[in-house]
Amino acid sequence: MKTSVFAAGLLAATALALPAQADKLDDIIASGTLRCAVVLDFPPMGSRDASNNPVGFDVDYCNDLAAALGVTAEIVETTFPERIPSLMSGRVDIAVASTSDTLERAKTVGFTIPYYSFENAVVANEKIEMSTWEDMKGKVVGATAGTYEAIWLEGKVKEWGEGEFRPYQTQADVFLALSQGQLDATVATVEVSQANVKSGNYPGIKIVDKTPMVPDYVALITLREEYGLINYMNLFINQQVRTGRYNELYKKWVGDGEPASLIVEGVYR
Amino acid sequence: MFNYNFRWNQALSSLPQMLEGALVTIEIAVLSMAIGITVAILLTLFRLSGSRPLSAIATTWVEIARNTPALFQIYMVHFGLGGFGIHLSPYLSLLIGIAFNNAGYLTENFRGALKAIPETQTRAARSLGMSPIQAFQNVILPQMLRISFLPMTNQMVWAILMTSLGAVVAMNTDLYGVTSELNARTFRTFELFAIAAVIFYVITKAITLSARLLAARLFRY
Repeated sequence: MKTSVFAAGLLAATALALPAQADKLDDIIASGTLRCAVVLDFPPMGSRDASNNPVGFDVDYCNDLAAALGVTAEIVETTFPERIPSLMSGRVDIAVASTSDTLERAKTVGFTIPYYSFENAVVANEKIEMSTWEDMKGKVVGATAGTYEAIWLEGKVKEWGEGEFRPYQTQADVFLALSQGQLDATVATVEVSQANVKSGNYPGIKIVDKTPMVPDYVALITLREEYGLINYMNLFINQQVRTGRYNELYKKWVGDGEPASLIVEGVYR
Repeated sequence: MFNYNFRWNQALSSLPQMLEGALVTIEIAVLSMAIGITVAILLTLFRLSGSRPLSAIATTWVEIARNTPALFQIYMVHFGLGGFGIHLSPYLSLLIGIAFNNAGYLTENFRGALKAIPETQTRAARSLGMSPIQAFQNVILPQMLRISFLPMTNQMVWAILMTSLGAVVAMNTDLYGVTSELNARTFRTFELFAIAAVIFYVITKAITLSARLLAARLFRY
Protein backbone atom coordinates (compact mmCIF):
# COMPACT_ATOMS: atom_id res chain seq x y z
CA MET A 1 0.00 0.00 0.00
CA LYS A 2 2.60 2.43 1.17
CA THR A 3 4.84 1.61 -1.75
CA SER A 4 2.06 2.15 -4.26
CA VAL A 5 1.19 5.56 -2.78
CA PHE A 6 4.83 6.41 -2.88
CA ALA A 7 5.06 5.20 -6.47
CA ALA A 8 1.97 7.18 -7.42
CA GLY A 9 3.42 10.28 -5.79
CA LEU A 10 6.70 9.76 -7.57
CA LEU A 11 4.87 9.31 -10.86
CA ALA A 12 2.85 12.48 -10.30
CA ALA A 13 6.01 14.38 -9.44
CA THR A 14 7.78 13.20 -12.58
CA ALA A 15 4.73 14.01 -14.66
CA LEU A 16 4.73 17.54 -13.29
CA ALA A 17 8.43 17.95 -13.69
CA LEU A 18 8.62 16.51 -17.16
CA PRO A 19 5.46 17.27 -19.08
CA ALA A 20 5.07 15.59 -22.45
CA GLN A 21 7.26 17.43 -24.92
CA ALA A 22 5.24 20.48 -25.94
CA ASP A 23 5.78 21.58 -29.51
CA LYS A 24 5.38 25.02 -31.03
CA LEU A 25 1.69 24.47 -31.72
CA ASP A 26 1.12 23.76 -28.02
CA ASP A 27 3.24 26.73 -27.04
CA ILE A 28 1.24 29.10 -29.23
CA ILE A 29 -2.08 27.89 -27.92
CA ALA A 30 -0.83 27.95 -24.34
CA SER A 31 0.64 31.44 -24.63
CA GLY A 32 -2.50 32.79 -26.29
CA THR A 33 -0.51 34.74 -28.87
CA LEU A 34 0.60 33.99 -32.39
CA ARG A 35 3.56 36.12 -33.35
CA CYS A 36 3.85 36.60 -37.11
CA ALA A 37 6.75 38.21 -38.94
CA VAL A 38 5.27 40.34 -41.73
CA VAL A 39 7.09 42.58 -44.19
CA LEU A 40 5.36 45.95 -44.02
CA ASP A 41 6.83 47.75 -46.99
CA PHE A 42 5.48 45.30 -49.49
CA PRO A 43 1.98 46.47 -50.43
CA PRO A 44 -0.56 45.08 -50.96
CA MET A 45 0.74 42.13 -48.93
CA GLY A 46 1.91 44.21 -46.02
CA SER A 47 2.02 47.94 -45.32
CA ARG A 48 0.88 50.51 -42.79
CA ASP A 49 -2.30 52.54 -42.98
CA ALA A 50 -2.69 56.25 -42.32
CA SER A 51 -2.70 55.71 -38.58
CA ASN A 52 0.38 53.50 -38.77
CA ASN A 53 -1.40 50.20 -38.17
CA PRO A 54 -0.17 47.15 -40.06
CA VAL A 55 -2.56 46.19 -42.86
CA GLY A 56 -2.51 43.99 -45.94
CA PHE A 57 -3.08 40.52 -47.24
CA ASP A 58 -0.39 38.97 -45.05
CA VAL A 59 -1.61 40.81 -41.97
CA ASP A 60 -5.15 39.53 -42.50
CA TYR A 61 -3.80 36.07 -43.17
CA CYS A 62 -2.02 36.08 -39.83
CA ASN A 63 -5.14 37.34 -38.08
CA ASP A 64 -7.21 34.57 -39.68
CA LEU A 65 -4.73 31.94 -38.56
CA ALA A 66 -4.70 33.34 -35.04
CA ALA A 67 -8.48 33.31 -34.98
CA ALA A 68 -8.50 29.68 -36.10
CA LEU A 69 -6.09 28.83 -33.30
CA GLY A 70 -8.18 30.83 -30.83
CA VAL A 71 -5.35 33.15 -29.93
CA THR A 72 -4.53 36.79 -30.59
CA ALA A 73 -2.24 37.77 -33.40
CA GLU A 74 0.84 39.89 -32.88
CA ILE A 75 2.33 41.40 -36.03
CA VAL A 76 6.09 41.78 -35.82
CA GLU A 77 7.48 43.93 -38.58
CA THR A 78 10.40 42.41 -40.41
CA THR A 79 12.44 42.90 -43.57
CA PHE A 80 13.05 40.17 -46.10
CA PRO A 81 16.58 39.38 -44.91
CA GLU A 82 15.50 39.41 -41.25
CA ARG A 83 12.86 36.71 -41.56
CA ILE A 84 15.19 33.88 -40.64
CA PRO A 85 16.94 35.54 -37.70
CA SER A 86 13.54 36.45 -36.21
CA LEU A 87 12.38 32.85 -36.51
CA MET A 88 15.56 31.28 -35.21
CA SER A 89 15.92 33.61 -32.26
CA GLY A 90 12.34 32.91 -31.23
CA ARG A 91 11.12 36.48 -31.71
CA VAL A 92 8.30 35.18 -33.88
CA ASP A 93 6.50 31.87 -34.25
CA ILE A 94 5.94 31.97 -37.98
CA ALA A 95 6.57 34.30 -40.88
CA VAL A 96 3.68 35.34 -43.12
CA ALA A 97 6.00 37.19 -45.42
CA SER A 98 5.57 36.09 -49.02
CA THR A 99 8.47 33.65 -48.71
CA SER A 100 9.25 31.82 -51.95
CA ASP A 101 9.60 28.12 -51.33
CA THR A 102 12.96 27.30 -52.90
CA LEU A 103 14.64 23.98 -52.26
CA GLU A 104 17.78 25.76 -51.13
CA ARG A 105 15.87 27.58 -48.40
CA ALA A 106 13.91 24.47 -47.41
CA LYS A 107 17.18 23.04 -46.11
CA THR A 108 16.95 25.63 -43.38
CA VAL A 109 13.30 26.45 -42.69
CA GLY A 110 10.04 24.52 -42.80
CA PHE A 111 7.66 25.52 -45.59
CA THR A 112 3.91 24.94 -45.72
CA ILE A 113 2.07 24.37 -48.97
CA PRO A 114 1.84 27.60 -51.02
CA TYR A 115 -0.65 30.15 -49.70
CA TYR A 116 -0.27 32.60 -52.56
CA SER A 117 1.34 32.80 -55.96
CA PHE A 118 2.83 35.82 -57.60
CA GLU A 119 3.40 36.62 -61.20
CA ASN A 120 6.13 39.09 -61.89
CA ALA A 121 6.12 42.04 -64.22
CA VAL A 122 8.87 44.08 -65.81
CA VAL A 123 8.49 47.73 -64.93
CA ALA A 124 10.61 50.29 -66.75
CA ASN A 125 11.33 53.98 -66.72
CA GLU A 126 9.22 55.65 -69.40
CA LYS A 127 12.28 57.05 -71.13
CA ILE A 128 13.60 53.58 -71.83
CA GLU A 129 12.55 51.87 -75.06
CA MET A 130 11.37 48.43 -74.08
CA SER A 131 8.72 46.08 -75.34
CA THR A 132 9.59 42.66 -73.94
CA TRP A 133 11.30 41.39 -70.85
CA GLU A 134 14.33 40.43 -72.92
CA ASP A 135 15.01 44.11 -73.58
CA MET A 136 16.37 44.23 -70.04
CA LYS A 137 19.53 42.72 -71.46
CA GLY A 138 22.39 45.19 -71.12
CA LYS A 139 20.38 47.62 -69.02
CA VAL A 140 20.80 48.74 -65.42
CA VAL A 141 18.20 46.69 -63.59
CA GLY A 142 17.39 46.18 -59.94
CA ALA A 143 15.01 44.54 -57.51
CA THR A 144 14.34 44.24 -53.80
CA ALA A 145 17.24 42.46 -52.12
CA GLY A 146 16.50 39.00 -50.80
CA THR A 147 13.43 38.32 -52.93
CA TYR A 148 12.78 35.57 -55.45
CA GLU A 149 12.62 38.02 -58.33
CA ALA A 150 15.95 39.56 -57.29
CA ILE A 151 17.62 36.15 -57.32
CA TRP A 152 16.07 35.43 -60.73
CA LEU A 153 17.01 38.79 -62.22
CA GLU A 154 20.58 38.64 -60.96
CA GLY A 155 20.90 35.18 -62.49
CA LYS A 156 19.68 36.56 -65.82
CA VAL A 157 22.14 39.47 -65.74
CA LYS A 158 24.97 37.03 -65.06
CA GLU A 159 23.74 34.81 -67.88
CA TRP A 160 23.56 37.74 -70.33
CA GLY A 161 27.01 38.86 -69.26
CA GLU A 162 26.14 42.52 -69.77
CA GLY A 163 24.25 45.19 -67.93
CA GLU A 164 24.21 45.74 -64.20
CA PHE A 165 22.15 44.36 -61.33
CA ARG A 166 21.41 46.39 -58.22
CA PRO A 167 19.66 44.97 -55.14
CA TYR A 168 18.01 47.79 -53.19
CA GLN A 169 17.01 47.21 -49.60
CA THR A 170 13.32 47.99 -49.89
CA GLN A 171 10.66 47.92 -52.57
CA ALA A 172 10.22 51.67 -52.07
CA ASP A 173 13.89 52.34 -52.87
CA VAL A 174 13.66 50.23 -56.02
CA PHE A 175 10.75 52.29 -57.34
CA LEU A 176 12.37 55.55 -56.24
CA ALA A 177 15.53 54.63 -58.18
CA LEU A 178 13.40 53.60 -61.16
CA SER A 179 11.41 56.80 -61.08
CA GLN A 180 14.60 58.90 -60.84
CA GLY A 181 16.06 57.02 -63.78
CA GLN A 182 18.87 55.43 -61.79
CA LEU A 183 17.43 52.10 -62.84
CA ASP A 184 16.24 51.38 -66.36
CA ALA A 185 13.94 48.56 -65.30
CA THR A 186 12.94 46.34 -62.43
CA VAL A 187 11.12 43.10 -61.88
CA ALA A 188 8.42 43.17 -59.22
CA THR A 189 5.25 41.26 -58.54
CA VAL A 190 2.33 42.25 -60.73
CA GLU A 191 0.43 43.26 -57.59
CA VAL A 192 3.16 45.61 -56.37
CA SER A 193 3.81 46.99 -59.85
CA GLN A 194 0.18 47.84 -60.51
CA ALA A 195 -0.23 49.38 -57.07
CA ASN A 196 2.85 51.56 -57.59
CA VAL A 197 1.95 52.66 -61.10
CA LYS A 198 -1.59 53.49 -59.97
CA SER A 199 -0.60 55.35 -56.80
CA GLY A 200 1.29 58.01 -58.74
CA ASN A 201 3.95 58.09 -56.04
CA TYR A 202 6.54 57.16 -58.61
CA PRO A 203 6.01 59.20 -61.78
CA GLY A 204 7.52 58.15 -65.07
CA ILE A 205 7.25 54.38 -64.82
CA LYS A 206 5.37 51.88 -66.97
CA ILE A 207 4.65 48.17 -66.93
CA VAL A 208 6.28 46.55 -69.93
CA ASP A 209 5.80 42.82 -69.88
CA LYS A 210 5.36 39.79 -67.70
CA THR A 211 8.45 37.78 -66.85
CA PRO A 212 8.80 34.23 -68.06
CA MET A 213 9.73 32.83 -64.67
CA VAL A 214 7.82 30.01 -63.03
CA PRO A 215 4.99 31.36 -60.87
CA ASP A 216 6.50 32.52 -57.62
CA TYR A 217 4.76 30.30 -55.08
CA VAL A 218 5.07 31.65 -51.58
CA ALA A 219 4.49 29.76 -48.38
CA LEU A 220 4.28 30.31 -44.65
CA ILE A 221 7.44 29.41 -42.81
CA THR A 222 8.34 28.25 -39.35
CA LEU A 223 11.11 26.18 -37.82
CA ARG A 224 11.87 23.13 -39.92
CA GLU A 225 11.16 20.58 -37.18
CA GLU A 226 7.74 21.94 -36.16
CA TYR A 227 5.73 19.33 -38.03
CA GLY A 228 2.68 19.79 -35.82
CA LEU A 229 2.45 23.46 -36.65
CA ILE A 230 3.27 22.97 -40.33
CA ASN A 231 0.56 20.34 -40.52
CA TYR A 232 -1.94 22.68 -38.94
CA MET A 233 -1.00 25.53 -41.25
CA ASN A 234 -1.29 23.28 -44.32
CA LEU A 235 -4.84 22.46 -43.35
CA PHE A 236 -5.49 26.11 -42.60
CA ILE A 237 -4.33 27.19 -46.07
CA ASN A 238 -6.53 24.51 -47.62
CA GLN A 239 -9.50 25.78 -45.60
CA GLN A 240 -8.84 29.38 -46.58
CA VAL A 241 -9.28 28.42 -50.23
CA ARG A 242 -12.15 26.01 -49.54
CA THR A 243 -14.17 28.55 -47.59
CA GLY A 244 -13.67 31.29 -50.15
CA ARG A 245 -11.69 33.43 -47.76
CA TYR A 246 -8.71 33.34 -50.16
CA ASN A 247 -10.81 34.96 -52.90
CA GLU A 248 -12.23 37.42 -50.43
CA LEU A 249 -8.78 38.56 -49.27
CA TYR A 250 -7.65 38.77 -52.89
CA LYS A 251 -10.56 41.07 -53.73
CA LYS A 252 -9.94 43.16 -50.66
CA TRP A 253 -6.20 43.74 -51.17
CA VAL A 254 -5.34 43.03 -54.78
CA GLY A 255 -8.47 43.83 -56.72
CA ASP A 256 -11.04 42.26 -58.98
CA GLY A 257 -10.29 39.08 -60.81
CA GLU A 258 -9.27 35.64 -59.77
CA PRO A 259 -6.36 34.93 -57.46
CA ALA A 260 -3.69 32.65 -58.89
CA SER A 261 -4.39 28.95 -58.69
CA LEU A 262 -2.42 27.16 -56.02
CA ILE A 263 -2.66 23.86 -57.86
CA VAL A 264 0.37 22.54 -59.66
CA GLU A 265 -0.83 20.42 -62.56
CA GLY A 266 0.31 16.86 -62.95
CA VAL A 267 1.89 16.32 -59.58
CA TYR A 268 0.66 14.80 -56.36
CA ARG A 269 1.48 17.68 -54.04
CA MET B 1 16.11 29.78 -26.94
CA PHE B 2 18.05 29.41 -30.12
CA ASN B 3 16.78 26.98 -32.68
CA TYR B 4 19.40 26.55 -35.30
CA ASN B 5 21.74 23.86 -36.49
CA PHE B 6 24.99 25.23 -37.71
CA ARG B 7 26.16 23.81 -41.02
CA TRP B 8 29.51 25.36 -41.58
CA ASN B 9 30.59 23.47 -44.68
CA GLN B 10 27.86 25.01 -46.82
CA ALA B 11 28.68 28.52 -45.65
CA LEU B 12 32.44 28.01 -45.81
CA SER B 13 32.18 27.02 -49.47
CA SER B 14 31.20 30.65 -50.12
CA LEU B 15 34.38 31.90 -48.47
CA PRO B 16 36.20 32.73 -51.74
CA GLN B 17 33.31 34.96 -52.83
CA MET B 18 33.30 36.66 -49.45
CA LEU B 19 37.04 37.27 -49.56
CA GLU B 20 36.63 38.90 -52.96
CA GLY B 21 34.02 41.10 -51.34
CA ALA B 22 36.50 41.89 -48.57
CA LEU B 23 38.96 43.17 -51.18
CA VAL B 24 36.34 45.56 -52.53
CA THR B 25 35.63 46.70 -48.97
CA ILE B 26 39.32 47.42 -48.37
CA GLU B 27 39.60 49.17 -51.71
CA ILE B 28 36.71 51.50 -50.94
CA ALA B 29 38.04 52.22 -47.45
CA VAL B 30 41.53 53.04 -48.72
CA LEU B 31 40.26 55.27 -51.53
CA SER B 32 37.82 57.02 -49.22
CA MET B 33 40.63 57.70 -46.76
CA ALA B 34 42.91 59.08 -49.47
CA ILE B 35 40.14 61.41 -50.65
CA GLY B 36 39.14 62.17 -47.07
CA ILE B 37 42.66 63.17 -45.97
CA THR B 38 43.16 65.37 -49.04
CA VAL B 39 39.86 67.14 -48.56
CA ALA B 40 40.43 67.47 -44.81
CA ILE B 41 43.79 69.18 -45.38
CA LEU B 42 42.04 71.51 -47.79
CA LEU B 43 39.27 72.26 -45.31
CA THR B 44 41.87 72.87 -42.59
CA LEU B 45 43.55 75.39 -44.87
CA PHE B 46 40.13 76.99 -45.47
CA ARG B 47 39.78 77.39 -41.73
CA LEU B 48 43.26 78.82 -41.34
CA SER B 49 42.85 81.15 -44.30
CA GLY B 50 40.91 83.70 -42.29
CA SER B 51 38.47 84.07 -45.17
CA ARG B 52 34.89 84.01 -43.96
CA PRO B 53 33.21 82.19 -46.85
CA LEU B 54 35.97 79.59 -46.97
CA SER B 55 35.83 78.80 -43.29
CA ALA B 56 32.03 78.75 -43.50
CA ILE B 57 32.31 76.00 -46.12
CA ALA B 58 34.65 74.05 -43.85
CA THR B 59 32.39 74.49 -40.81
CA THR B 60 29.26 73.43 -42.71
CA TRP B 61 30.99 70.36 -44.05
CA VAL B 62 32.27 69.33 -40.62
CA GLU B 63 28.92 69.98 -38.96
CA ILE B 64 26.95 67.88 -41.43
CA ALA B 65 29.50 65.09 -41.60
CA ARG B 66 29.79 64.75 -37.84
CA ASN B 67 26.21 65.37 -36.78
CA THR B 68 24.21 63.26 -39.19
CA PRO B 69 24.30 59.47 -39.57
CA ALA B 70 26.70 58.11 -42.16
CA LEU B 71 23.77 56.09 -43.46
CA PHE B 72 21.92 59.30 -44.25
CA GLN B 73 24.97 60.81 -45.95
CA ILE B 74 25.43 57.81 -48.22
CA TYR B 75 21.70 57.62 -48.97
CA MET B 76 21.64 61.32 -49.87
CA VAL B 77 24.59 60.96 -52.25
CA HIS B 78 22.64 58.30 -54.15
CA PHE B 79 18.98 59.28 -53.91
CA GLY B 80 19.39 62.96 -53.02
CA LEU B 81 21.60 63.75 -55.99
CA GLY B 82 19.53 61.28 -58.01
CA GLY B 83 16.55 63.58 -57.55
CA PHE B 84 18.52 66.26 -59.40
CA GLY B 85 19.33 63.89 -62.22
CA ILE B 86 22.88 63.17 -61.02
CA HIS B 87 23.11 59.41 -61.14
CA LEU B 88 26.01 57.78 -59.38
CA SER B 89 26.64 54.06 -59.35
CA PRO B 90 26.32 52.26 -56.00
CA TYR B 91 30.12 52.01 -55.83
CA LEU B 92 30.65 55.74 -56.35
CA SER B 93 27.77 56.69 -54.04
CA LEU B 94 29.27 54.63 -51.24
CA LEU B 95 32.80 55.89 -51.88
CA ILE B 96 31.76 59.54 -51.96
CA GLY B 97 29.52 59.12 -48.93
CA ILE B 98 32.27 57.61 -46.82
CA ALA B 99 34.86 60.09 -48.11
CA PHE B 100 32.53 62.94 -47.14
CA ASN B 101 32.20 61.51 -43.64
CA ASN B 102 35.95 60.88 -43.36
CA ALA B 103 36.79 64.41 -44.44
CA GLY B 104 34.50 65.88 -41.77
CA TYR B 105 35.93 63.85 -38.93
CA LEU B 106 39.53 64.22 -40.07
CA THR B 107 39.19 67.98 -40.29
CA GLU B 108 38.28 68.00 -36.62
CA ASN B 109 41.19 65.69 -35.85
CA PHE B 110 43.50 68.05 -37.65
CA ARG B 111 42.13 70.98 -35.71
CA GLY B 112 42.92 69.20 -32.47
CA ALA B 113 46.40 68.38 -33.73
CA LEU B 114 47.01 71.99 -34.75
CA LYS B 115 46.11 73.13 -31.26
CA ALA B 116 48.88 70.91 -29.91
CA ILE B 117 51.48 72.65 -32.07
CA PRO B 118 52.69 75.89 -30.43
CA GLU B 119 51.90 78.89 -32.58
CA THR B 120 55.40 80.18 -32.00
CA GLN B 121 56.61 77.58 -34.48
CA THR B 122 54.85 79.32 -37.34
CA ARG B 123 56.34 82.61 -36.27
CA ALA B 124 59.79 81.05 -35.97
CA ALA B 125 59.45 79.54 -39.42
CA ARG B 126 58.29 82.85 -40.85
CA SER B 127 61.21 84.66 -39.23
CA LEU B 128 63.51 82.21 -41.01
CA GLY B 129 62.18 83.65 -44.23
CA MET B 130 59.59 81.00 -45.10
CA SER B 131 56.39 82.07 -46.78
CA PRO B 132 53.14 81.23 -44.97
CA ILE B 133 52.63 78.31 -47.35
CA GLN B 134 56.15 77.03 -46.85
CA ALA B 135 55.78 77.32 -43.11
CA PHE B 136 52.58 75.28 -43.19
CA GLN B 137 53.91 72.73 -45.61
CA ASN B 138 57.33 72.17 -44.04
CA VAL B 139 56.78 72.78 -40.36
CA ILE B 140 53.15 72.48 -39.38
CA LEU B 141 51.72 69.88 -41.76
CA PRO B 142 54.18 67.07 -40.93
CA GLN B 143 53.61 67.52 -37.21
CA MET B 144 49.85 67.76 -37.70
CA LEU B 145 49.77 64.49 -39.61
CA ARG B 146 52.04 62.87 -37.03
CA ILE B 147 49.88 63.89 -34.08
CA SER B 148 46.69 62.83 -35.81
CA PHE B 149 48.11 59.59 -37.15
CA LEU B 150 46.42 57.32 -34.63
CA PRO B 151 43.05 59.09 -34.86
CA MET B 152 43.40 58.61 -38.61
CA THR B 153 43.70 54.86 -38.17
CA ASN B 154 40.52 55.03 -36.11
CA GLN B 155 38.81 56.69 -39.04
CA MET B 156 40.21 54.04 -41.36
CA VAL B 157 38.61 51.37 -39.18
CA TRP B 158 35.38 53.31 -39.32
CA ALA B 159 35.65 53.51 -43.09
CA ILE B 160 35.98 49.72 -43.28
CA LEU B 161 32.92 49.26 -41.10
CA MET B 162 30.94 51.94 -42.92
CA THR B 163 31.22 50.04 -46.20
CA SER B 164 28.49 47.78 -44.87
CA LEU B 165 26.11 50.75 -45.23
CA GLY B 166 26.47 50.37 -48.99
CA ALA B 167 23.47 48.07 -48.82
CA VAL B 168 21.16 51.10 -48.78
CA VAL B 169 22.45 52.17 -52.18
CA ALA B 170 22.27 48.66 -53.66
CA MET B 171 25.98 47.96 -53.32
CA ASN B 172 26.43 44.22 -53.78
CA THR B 173 30.10 43.61 -54.43
CA ASP B 174 31.52 44.55 -51.02
CA LEU B 175 31.82 42.12 -48.12
CA TYR B 176 28.42 42.96 -46.63
CA GLY B 177 26.69 42.99 -50.01
CA VAL B 178 28.09 39.61 -50.99
CA THR B 179 27.15 38.15 -47.61
CA SER B 180 23.57 39.36 -47.64
CA GLU B 181 23.06 38.12 -51.17
CA LEU B 182 24.32 34.66 -50.20
CA ASN B 183 21.98 34.84 -47.24
CA ALA B 184 18.95 35.57 -49.41
CA ARG B 185 19.72 32.56 -51.51
CA THR B 186 20.55 30.01 -48.83
CA PHE B 187 19.05 31.38 -45.58
CA ARG B 188 22.26 30.29 -43.75
CA THR B 189 22.14 33.61 -41.92
CA PHE B 190 24.13 32.92 -38.82
CA GLU B 191 27.10 31.12 -40.37
CA LEU B 192 27.41 33.66 -43.18
CA PHE B 193 27.27 36.71 -40.95
CA ALA B 194 29.57 35.10 -38.38
CA ILE B 195 32.14 34.55 -41.12
CA ALA B 196 31.67 38.12 -42.34
CA ALA B 197 32.14 39.40 -38.79
CA VAL B 198 35.39 37.46 -38.43
CA ILE B 199 36.66 38.85 -41.73
CA PHE B 200 35.75 42.39 -40.66
CA TYR B 201 37.51 41.82 -37.33
CA VAL B 202 40.66 40.49 -38.96
CA ILE B 203 40.81 43.42 -41.38
CA THR B 204 40.33 46.11 -38.75
CA LYS B 205 42.68 44.41 -36.29
CA ALA B 206 45.33 44.18 -39.00
CA ILE B 207 44.90 47.87 -39.70
CA THR B 208 45.27 48.98 -36.07
CA LEU B 209 48.24 46.69 -35.43
CA SER B 210 50.12 47.67 -38.56
CA ALA B 211 49.38 51.33 -37.88
CA ARG B 212 50.89 50.97 -34.42
CA LEU B 213 53.97 49.26 -35.79
CA LEU B 214 54.28 51.88 -38.48
CA ALA B 215 53.89 54.69 -35.96
CA ALA B 216 56.60 53.22 -33.74
CA ARG B 217 59.00 53.19 -36.72
CA LEU B 218 58.07 56.50 -38.29
CA PHE B 219 57.76 58.66 -35.25
CA ARG B 220 60.87 57.80 -33.28
CA TYR B 221 62.45 60.90 -31.92
